Amino acid sequence: MNYLYFLYIEFLAKHNIPKIFGDITFYVIPACIIFVALILVILVLVLFERKLLGWFTQRKGPNRVGFWGVLQTLADAFKLLCKENITPIGADRAVFNLAPIIMFLPVLIALGLIPFSSEFTFMNFQTNVLIYVILATFPVLSILLAGWASNNKYSLIGGVRNVAQILAYELPISFTVLSVIVLASSMNLTQITLAQSNQYGVLGWYWFPCIIGFGLMLICTLAELNRCPFDLPEAESELIAGYNTEYSGMRFALFYLSEYGMLFANSLFISVLFLGGYLSPFGKYLSPILFSGPVGNILIYFEQAFWLFAKSFLIIFIFIWVRATLPRLASFDLLKFSWNILLPLSIVNLLLMSLLKFFVGGVYA
Amino acid sequence: MLKEFYYMLLSFLTVFKHLFKRPVTLEYPEKKSEVGERFRGKPYMKGCIKCGTCIKVCPANAIKIEDNDFIFDMKKCIFCGNCSFYCPVKAIKMTQNYELATNDVNDLKLLYKIEGRENERLD
Repeated sequence: MNYLYFLYIEFLAKHNIPKIFGDITFYVIPACIIFVALILVILVLVLFERKLLGWFTQRKGPNRVGFWGVLQTLADAFKLLCKENITPIGADRAVFNLAPIIMFLPVLIALGLIPFSSEFTFMNFQTNVLIYVILATFPVLSILLAGWASNNKYSLIGGVRNVAQILAYELPISFTVLSVIVLASSMNLTQITLAQSNQYGVLGWYWFPCIIGFGLMLICTLAELNRCPFDLPEAESELIAGYNTEYSGMRFALFYLSEYGMLFANSLFISVLFLGGYLSPFGKYLSPILFSGPVGNILIYFEQAFWLFAKSFLIIFIFIWVRATLPRLASFDLLKFSWNILLPLSIVNLLLMSLLKFFVGGVYA
Repeated sequence: MLKEFYYMLLSFLTVFKHLFKRPVTLEYPEKKSEVGERFRGKPYMKGCIKCGTCIKVCPANAIKIEDNDFIFDMKKCIFCGNCSFYCPVKAIKMTQNYELATNDVNDLKLLYKIEGRENERLD
């Protein structure tokens, strides 16, 4: 970010624009980039999921709106915009309206913490990971609010279930993240990414030494995102639509949007922790080889972002694959699975990683 | 425990294989599903001799003959094919057309003109 800032100020100085203008606008631009990128990615993501689910079940998926169904998500969004906003009688009006908005905020903040390339991290704190782990649990708050304010038994049960689920699955996540922090000896996501670049290439990334943690992280993230097979808060066979039973129109769209935004953010987070973030899987960046001169040097940053996105989409692919395969767990099994299996496993994993760090040290330091 | 895990992996593999299979979806309005040779669809009539066998044989009372109009009532027709089976001159045929949905009730009365025998008596 410092390098970009420097470039920006220099560019402004060339055109005789005062430095104070650059100071003010510099942080607006990346925020806008992140917001636009998020919306675009969600549009792609929804289509990606529906297409893949179609292919997994030998269907075609959406293929009517636009070429190859590309505009399907836009059409859905337009339909939701046209719909009526209904507030049920007896609902807590203020909280009911506030819940979807609160749900969308942490997604935006969480995306700002991710290092998209070596120079582009919107908020580069020393303790990025901690802030992210806290923010990732924020949607549960608004889900509980939505369930509570709806004045509907299904919504309330969905919200409460989600709280129990997050409580159970947040602990294994914390321990797994802690094991990565131990390996990288840093709480900064950029530092963690850089710690994974070594002569072993793909095997040097933390998914290899921390394979148990990688699996745990995938499972727990599924639970945290309320996706199949852990989608108990929205179990349609028992709870109509769970916490968003009473929501319609744009408010429902906000829930939907933030769900997918959180999916994207969490997959980015996993790919930073375990799949080497923006590092190239070939060990070298390709753009300086393909394009010589200054163009290649600038293209490196875009290439880094490309690798990060590719890795995150790989993880999203796994999530969709799981959704297409496994049926939903029972409510009690879900909690038992976490407390009895995942939590001890994550603690063992943390212990193993500490021992690895202690004895092998240098390789993964 | 191990067996369950094995089955889970197996199901993951099975689902993954489906990615590379051709979709079984038939995009209906553009492509129509093929029906068998003996499929009984929309009935068709040409060359009636007004013998009245089909009226007697029809279990749903869907056929009416008024002067020179031969009428199939598609609201009643059950596509059993009895009329075409018992017709002495094989005037009635069941076609392979199965797209019978309309927005107009009057379209459900299929009217065929009986030709050429206006002045002959039936006895």
